[in-house]
Amino acid sequence: MTLKNIHKSPNPFRTFKALFALLLLCCLSMTAYAQEKLLVTGTIFDNNGLELAGATILEVGTTNGTTADFDGKFSLQVTTGNDIQISYLGYATQTINITANTAMPLQVTLQEDAYALDAVELVAVGYGTMRKSDLTGAISTVSADELEKGVISSTEQVLQGKVAGLTVIQGTGDPSSGASLRLRGGTSLTASNNPLVVVDGIPGVDINTVQPNDIKTIDVLKDASATAIYGSRGANGVIIITTKSQKSGFNVTYNGYTGISYASNNLDMLSANQWRQYVRDNNVTGAIDYGGDTDWQEELQTTSATMSHTVSLASGAEYNGLRASVSYLDNKGIIKTTGLERLSGNLSIYQYAMDKKLKFDAGMFATVDKWNPLDYRIFERAFNLNPTIPVYDENGNFTSVDGTLYENPVEILTNRTADSKRNRLLGYFKTEADLCTDLKAVLNLSYEHNASTGNTYKPSYAILEGITENGYAQKTYGEYTNMQLETYLNYTKEFGKNNLNLMGGYSFLENVYEGFGAQRSGFVTNAFGYNNLGAGTNYRIGDVYSYKGKSRLVSFFARANYSFNSRFMLTATIREDGSSRFGKNNKWGTFPSASVAWRISNEAFLEDSSWLTNLKLRAGYGVTGNQDGIGEYKSLSILGAGNDSYYDPATGDWSLAYSPTQNPNPDLKWETTEQFNIGLDFSLFNFLNGTIEWYNKYTKDLLYTYEVPQPPYLVGTMLANVGELSNKGIELSLNANIINTDKFTWDANLTMAHNKQKIEKLSNQTYETDVIYSGSLHGLSGLSNQFSQIIAEGYPVGTFWGYESSGLDENGNFILSEEKTDIGNIQPDLSMGLAMNFTYSNFDFAITGYGMFGQEVLNATNMVLYNPNRLPAYNVPDGYLDSGINEPSPTYSSYWIEDASFFRLQSMSLGYTIPFEKSNSKLRVYLLGENLAVFTGYEGVDPEIDMSGLANPGIDRFNNYPRPTTISLGLNLTLGN
Amino acid sequence: MKFKIFAVLLSSLFVTVSCTDLDEDLYDRVEDNNFGTTPDEIDALVGGAYSSLRGFSDEISNAFPGSEFVFFLNEVVSDEATIPTRGTNWYDGGVYQRAQNHTWLAEDGIILSAWRYCYAGIAKVNSIIYQVDQSGLTEAEKTPIYAELRSVRAYYYYMLLDMFGNVPIVTDFEDTGLPSNSSRQEVYNFVEAELLESLPYLKSEIVYSKFTKNVAYALLARLYLNSEAFVGTPRWQDCINMCQNISGYTLEPDYFANFLTENENSSETIFAIPYDNDAGTIGNYMNSMSLHYLHRLTVSASGNDFPWSANGMSAQPGVYSSFAENDMRIDAILIGDQINVATNSVIMMDNGSPLTYTEEISSLADAQENEGGRLFKYETKAGEQWERDHDLVIIRYAEILIMQAECYVRLGNPDGAIPFLTQITERAGTDMPDMIDLQFINQESLREFIFEGKRRTDTIRFGTFFEPWWEKGSTEPYRAIFPIPATVLSTNTNLTQNPGY
Repeated sequence: MTLKNIHKSPNPFRTFKALFALLLLCCLSMTAYAQEKLLVTGTIFDNNGLELAGATILEVGTTNGTTADFDGKFSLQVTTGNDIQISYLGYATQTINITANTAMPLQVTLQEDAYALDAVELVAVGYGTMRKSDLTGAISTVSADELEKGVISSTEQVLQGKVAGLTVIQGTGDPSSGASLRLRGGTSLTASNNPLVVVDGIPGVDINTVQPNDIKTIDVLKDASATAIYGSRGANGVIIITTKSQKSGFNVTYNGYTGISYASNNLDMLSANQWRQYVRDNNVTGAIDYGGDTDWQEELQTTSATMSHTVSLASGAEYNGLRASVSYLDNKGIIKTTGLERLSGNLSIYQYAMDKKLKFDAGMFATVDKWNPLDYRIFERAFNLNPTIPVYDENGNFTSVDGTLYENPVEILTNRTADSKRNRLLGYFKTEADLCTDLKAVLNLSYEHNASTGNTYKPSYAILEGITENGYAQKTYGEYTNMQLETYLNYTKEFGKNNLNLMGGYSFLENVYEGFGAQRSGFVTNAFGYNNLGAGTNYRIGDVYSYKGKSRLVSFFARANYSFNSRFMLTATIREDGSSRFGKNNKWGTFPSASVAWRISNEAFLEDSSWLTNLKLRAGYGVTGNQDGIGEYKSLSILGAGNDSYYDPATGDWSLAYSPTQNPNPDLKWETTEQFNIGLDFSLFNFLNGTIEWYNKYTKDLLYTYEVPQPPYLVGTMLANVGELSNKGIELSLNANIINTDKFTWDANLTMAHNKQKIEKLSNQTYETDVIYSGSLHGLSGLSNQFSQIIAEGYPVGTFWGYESSGLDENGNFILSEEKTDIGNIQPDLSMGLAMNFTYSNFDFAITGYGMFGQEVLNATNMVLYNPNRLPAYNVPDGYLDSGINEPSPTYSSYWIEDASFFRLQSMSLGYTIPFEKSNSKLRVYLLGENLAVFTGYEGVDPEIDMSGLANPGIDRFNNYPRPTTISLGLNLTLGN
Repeated sequence: MKFKIFAVLLSSLFVTVSCTDLDEDLYDRVEDNNFGTTPDEIDALVGGAYSSLRGFSDEISNAFPGSEFVFFLNEVVSDEATIPTRGTNWYDGGVYQRAQNHTWLAEDGIILSAWRYCYAGIAKVNSIIYQVDQSGLTEAEKTPIYAELRSVRAYYYYMLLDMFGNVPIVTDFEDTGLPSNSSRQEVYNFVEAELLESLPYLKSEIVYSKFTKNVAYALLARLYLNSEAFVGTPRWQDCINMCQNISGYTLEPDYFANFLTENENSSETIFAIPYDNDAGTIGNYMNSMSLHYLHRLTVSASGNDFPWSANGMSAQPGVYSSFAENDMRIDAILIGDQINVATNSVIMMDNGSPLTYTEEISSLADAQENEGGRLFKYETKAGEQWERDHDLVIIRYAEILIMQAECYVRLGNPDGAIPFLTQITERAGTDMPDMIDLQFINQESLREFIFEGKRRTDTIRFGTFFEPWWEKGSTEPYRAIFPIPATVLSTNTNLTQNPGY
């Protein structure tokens, strides 16, 4: 242990030690006294007169309490004269004074109460939970109910459209590719804009470690006052996933579905007959008719089958409980050979000891994913190939016609093997100890391991690399582990109308990654595939490699909550983060926050209001960071031995040269985001709940690989903290119970968000940058080294910069402006999500959708395909023939920028539930349709384009893998007591 | 009580595990201050100076001296080559059309690429000098290493002097202040001084691909030959004297022996940049960039034993016919029907017409796929990869001969040029003209060094660079040097743009 690298911070160590001493002191000063005890027994009922299991009975002012058993019965020793409080999720809490005269057994009926739900619903806030009613920050919760409806194949999709301000974009329809998540517009040019994912208290976990069926709730921390407790990792928001556990009784569930998928849309290209018609009508010379009739897009596609089975077992009793689940998913892709096969298991156990003063939690999540990576070069070729070329020739071999980017895509798809596998493992052991009344200590140890293997073989007869390399085989392995220790103390105290909660802790994270790979070519036989690299005959420098790296993150954190009379709430947090990745001049960062809330509806003048049942105003400010953009060792002066070799004329051999690989930057640090948030929660007439949020985020020290002047710099680019970026926006969430009768219910959720982004600065004293060109068009015919977007002060990320087109002249050439200008951007004006649920008797019906409006997309597919030079050899879209375009030079201009507003009908489900009498068992069957319709004016295949990263945000480049439409039939069975 | 004990235990656990060590542990790379102490490590560092000559590719540009874009730039602004737009291909924002028409912009990436090639190499040499300085070597051991490194650096500065003229001079690795321009004269003086000071410590013997005395003499000869063009001071006799210092080389009897795949044994090559695909070298794909997409069918019966080509750079119209028919060097340009070796018939392109390379190109902005003679100087054979194995020839003995011939003509003694030129024309199989003048030397330089990246410098010296050719009009004198690239200028406000831009 060394302290020599602590700069900047005023010895966080000492501060935190002092805090702990104080907390311990509080604990030790408690005294106890004795009085006469009385055994209270009773039964608890719900408002339908049924016994209610699981309610909490607490002797007020003490930690003495119990839980009602399966029949709603309880017994508790209570000091005469004290009150007992009976509470249960979603029911109004009752308080009963116990005297010697109290009639036993008690018969308590709890009344359902939507408002009370807030008071007992616990929301995960990081290192603890808070009552929803006490929250001061902007936090959205997605509950299990919402999780169980709609799309269920991945945890990312579960969140689509559910949280105002959270955008989930599944860039392609490939089941093996993940989605990108973005909260409130993203804050970084370089780093990941994905929110931090916390699973059961463990930060930084891969979101796909957890399967949708295991999730109880997801809390999304949006503003800085909520996320600052995660310091340098909190700038993009935090998603806290809490998994299910069983508190009492047992249940066995089975969830399964089977479905079919097909491509929701394809581009209309000329058919063979349309092509022949065109050749005849225009007397085209040199057109070669190969005699076939091929739809190349469809040749790559298939109607695929998907299935999923999940079984879970759970039981819980007073002192312990466990839950285990196993699930299997086989999600075949609509492009042949693709898909995702996932086997996952989850086991969690809890155990109390020492009169419930100690609690142990242990759990493990494991997944195995298998998939076949796709060679994405097939898509452009599918648009290029002449539709008269048959897939196979008369001998049953693949047809091969010479031309640029003209290889038979079915042949590419068929004649190669690519197998990938990923194992994820997350294990944790958590100890909670009630040190004394009001003071709790928590120690959480976790280990996450993620390992991927890749195998590729291109046989000697496979076009693209197979033939030229005479067989090519590759194997790769990469893994990382996160070892994490987190420990904190939590102190809670109620005195009078005051409620105080203090928390302070320490966290240590060590990430180690390593891997290796090897490739060989020149195989005499194809018999081995990728299994015998030693049989390859060609060997080049760079054919074997390995790597390893390590980083550490050390943190101290503290939080204080105070509330007065359930009317005023105050939260303050602070976190000190030290990261090994930061430069030596900036090893430690401080991330404070403060927020307040005022529950106006608890004030006297509103207390009796019948229409306004909840009104709460919140305001918060905080500072958070993002350190994802800094790789290991980026601040140091490093020599690398890679492919840099030199010739030794004495021996005729090549030796490895060692050369500096980067400009060292000892000032390298996290990106800092300051955020101000004002929120208003309201409930009207007990039927409409809503939240409005307004925020202003300002990010400084933006990390980017800036161009630096050469000379003097060694390398032309350098990772540095320079720019500034702002995001401002408003969000609205509405939740309405429109109809709520015994037979029929109808509720609706609506989320809407608007965000405005602007690059504020790109230069500082050291670095000068006017503009960064992005949105590369490289690789498109005639557009090498061309860029479509700029990153510049005053514009948002993803601003299209090019010539304004005012249509075509009489020759079919584009009329363009003299100067390049702002011709659109990828930022939507409005994102929205809509969900509606209906139940009628035992039937349920749900519909969900989401949309984005006002964003622009570059239709680079059409830009390349609408070209007079293509016909007759290359195919064109139907639309080209009537377009009048006769411009031979591929010209990027506003002509190809399209409004990509859309609304997607994401899912519709119809279910029927058969309740089992006298038990908690039930059976539900349902029919589910996903991605049923897209309402858009966009001309391409799909308006929803990947916006993550800087390379190609919002550019439809042959739009790759089409999204499927899926129809599934599913069954949920729950057997309980 | 037991809970108090537990509390104390837990707090002590907390303190025990509170590690705050944030030093980075390195596993697969090394920090520069931990490297460069053993002779092997020094060799590996100095080797980096030579590997830098192959250029690099990064997120900003490809900076390869044999292809994109350093070679592209110098060829396409000259009178021997062109990259016409063919259908949709090679338009690329009009950058090659602008280069050909001498209307290039400071924003054009190909100019930035040439700048960065030189300065990345210079920075690397500076860093190696710094490391050698820090090592435990004796001064006697360091001196020859410095001489070699400074000469490599002078080679980069020579190119900057030629292409950009008024560039900043940086020599100290530790100085990261933003430098300002030096005048072209200062850069010229710097190059000369660095080479002259290094000369005594360079190796006298021929060491292939390394900076020896002979290489330094040859570079100084180039400097003096272009002295009038660079700084207005003619130094023809100095050039001849420097050429006379060079020894140990003879012309290869077969001109094309210099351009074989295994060309490291040429008796003529004074300086070359070695390449070897198996050693992982990249950037040597000019052939791949010139030949037609289907050219592989002329080489490989299966059509698969030769890489795809990109159908880009061609000879400019008129260049092919400027060769005499009996000039063996004419085979550096490929013209005519291309035969499919499997079928023995002419290859048909996908537009249905035959693949016949023509000397003529209908238009720079709208050329047919097959138009333009192709760069065919380096050996082309089956089994090649996209990245070629041949070494890139930088200075040949033939250049030493022609430089001296030119200087004699310049000095008013055309007869003095005859012994040098005779060696060149005899090997080429051509006749000596009755009268030897600068126009002949200019044309002979084109024929001898076609597609070797020298043409821009040569035509500027002869003045023909500024005259109209093909689709190009007259060129303003300020375009004898390129502008400082726009992004360099915007990131370093201490720099001023070259005059005229």
